[in-house]
Amino acid sequence: MEGFTYIDIFATEGIEYLVVIVFLLLIIPFWMFLNR
Amino acid sequence: MNGKTATEEINSFKDFMIFIRSELKPKGRIFTIFNVISAPIILLGAILIVYRLAKGLGWPVTNLSQDFPWGIWIGFDVMTGVAFAGGAYVLTFVVYVLGAKKYHPIIRATVLNGFLAYVFYTGAIFLDCGRWWNIVNPMIGNEFGVNSVLFLVAWHFLLYTLAELVEFSPAIAEWLGWKKIRKILASLTLGAVIFGITLSTLHQSGLGALVMMAKWKIHPLWYTEFIPVLFFISSIFAGLSMVIFEGTISHRVFSQQIDEEHHRTYDDILVGLGKICAVAMVGYFFLKVLVFIHGKHWSLINTPMGYWYLLELIGLVLIPCLIFVQGVKDRNLLSIRVAAILTMAGIIINRLNYVFIAYKWYIPMSERYFPTWIEIVITLAIVFAEIWVFRWIVNRMPVLKESPEWAREE
Repeated sequence: MEGFTYIDIFATEGIEYLVVIVFLLLIIPFWMFLNR
Repeated sequence: MNGKTATEEINSFKDFMIFIRSELKPKGRIFTIFNVISAPIILLGAILIVYRLAKGLGWPVTNLSQDFPWGIWIGFDVMTGVAFAGGAYVLTFVVYVLGAKKYHPIIRATVLNGFLAYVFYTGAIFLDCGRWWNIVNPMIGNEFGVNSVLFLVAWHFLLYTLAELVEFSPAIAEWLGWKKIRKILASLTLGAVIFGITLSTLHQSGLGALVMMAKWKIHPLWYTEFIPVLFFISSIFAGLSMVIFEGTISHRVFSQQIDEEHHRTYDDILVGLGKICAVAMVGYFFLKVLVFIHGKHWSLINTPMGYWYLLELIGLVLIPCLIFVQGVKDRNLLSIRVAAILTMAGIIINRLNYVFIAYKWYIPMSERYFPTWIEIVITLAIVFAEIWVFRWIVNRMPVLKESPEWAREE
């Protein structure tokens, strides 16, 4: 392990929220699509 | 080929021994292609296991070393095997908790498969222990090892194996004609199922947690704090893919045991399993994307390990997921089966990545781990022996065939 590195865990927070919201919005229509 | 269950209840030890002796006789042809290939491998594997226990883990038995302490026995037999056994907890949840009776015809075969997987792959752990005589320590003390995830995995394997035995035990009681015992065992099923599902959530993720402390040894594209969650979610579709694969083979090999109605409903069952796999794989894929974005690993994609990562994620998760979707929409059973095989390949590669491929990826090719022929033969022997036991049980007990009338009436 070499030295100390600073990692900003909030740098990608915005896009991560978008990915989660897209997933939550799509998963139920996806299940309904499979069951049609 | 149809096994007989005891039509008269066995009440004496003498009757029991007569029945067991009759059941020990081979059923079906002896010199099949599968038997001719697998029997010598099992025999050779048994000899090599004794050699391994006597000589230890070093060369020439295995290529394991300080750099690569885990090889195919852990990577394939334990981690992959247990992921594939996940079909049991998923299917029992779907049938007994969600009440989807449509999958009931395959539940016994799936639970039997899961039970045998845990038994044999616990054996694989036993073989991988340098001091195999200490394997009982997590159970009896003499340094339990409570700080280790492996302590949890050891206890869970034991308890889950027992839970699956309880779930399967009504079939054994029906085979032996033990009516009263069968009634008691059947009443324990729901409790065993709930206990088994609870255990599975933790030990499936626990197998991933085993590599958590190796942060600097696992390639950043694979290492994440979410490894346990990824292992658990992937065990859902890994297990169901195995159910699809094993069910396809069982329905051909044991087709004369299966009644007309079960044959008719099997297509619906496969489509349903494909649906669950597709949804689980979508969830897994999104989680992998999330982890990738969070880690900001963009620069690593354009490297050899990056291409390997894309092969695993796109080629063996996303593409099989899309094939499952197409198979479900068109009711194309061939597509569902192909998707299941691709998914299983992806799981094998994923688990092996954590154990010795993406693990210490920086070590030159000439110094990397590659299994010895002894490791490969023993691995094959374990798998073939499990298939032999599965076949022995299915040919005799009511697993794919109907339960005796007295059991169905209860």
